[in-house]
Amino acid sequence: MGTLIIQIRSGTMMNMDVNVMVKLAEAAVEKGHDVKIFGYGEGIMAIKEGQEPKRFPNVGKSLEELAKKGVETSVCETCAYARGVKRGEEIEGASVGSLTNNLSVMVSEGDRMITLAR
Amino acid sequence: MKTTLFVMLKGPHESCDLDLMERIAGDEDKAALLFEDAVYYSVMPGRAKELKRRLDDVYVISDDLQARGVDDRLIDGFQVVDYPKAVDLIMEGYDQTITL
Repeated sequence: MGTLIIQIRSGTMMNMDVNVMVKLAEAAVEKGHDVKIFGYGEGIMAIKEGQEPKRFPNVGKSLEELAKKGVETSVCETCAYARGVKRGEEIEGASVGSLTNNLSVMVSEGDRMITLAR
Repeated sequence: MKTTLFVMLKGPHESCDLDLMERIAGDEDKAALLFEDAVYYSVMPGRAKELKRRLDDVYVISDDLQARGVDDRLIDGFQVVDYPKAVDLIMEGYDQTITL
């Protein structure tokens, strides 16, 4: 089994990138792979607590469920603070991290990486 | 020989340099996995030909074909896959994965 890294750079309500992220992560975990997710740019919004979309999948809830299965999710601190998302506002199981402490480690340790961006 | 799986998200009408696949992978075995609007390549004859001539295999995510209501228009030569199969292709099917 390997480690799949998913970098998400699209926001939760921009397009279907976050849904692809969730479906890929769920399928990979089901198959026994490790999955690590890193949010960059608008992609940091996926970990914001209190998401209540009316007609779309709740990405925050999905990431919380994935965290219970061992999926690590972190986001770029600079991107988060620029958008007014502070530490302590993350969903359960996710963290505000950094490019150097999180993404670079993920890339060095991962077997495959998918970037979901527009 | 190294094998490469290109992950594509953008549709045929968005900016995507298909020649990049040949510049990156050359004569090596290469394939593409189509998500989101990229699945339209598999139902548009002209665009399908442009893509297929550059690749050994092309896989299409079934969910995204169905979500767009075009699953009954699939052109021969494209292989429909679900997410578990997509994970197999990404993790084990090819030596490297590159997102375009």
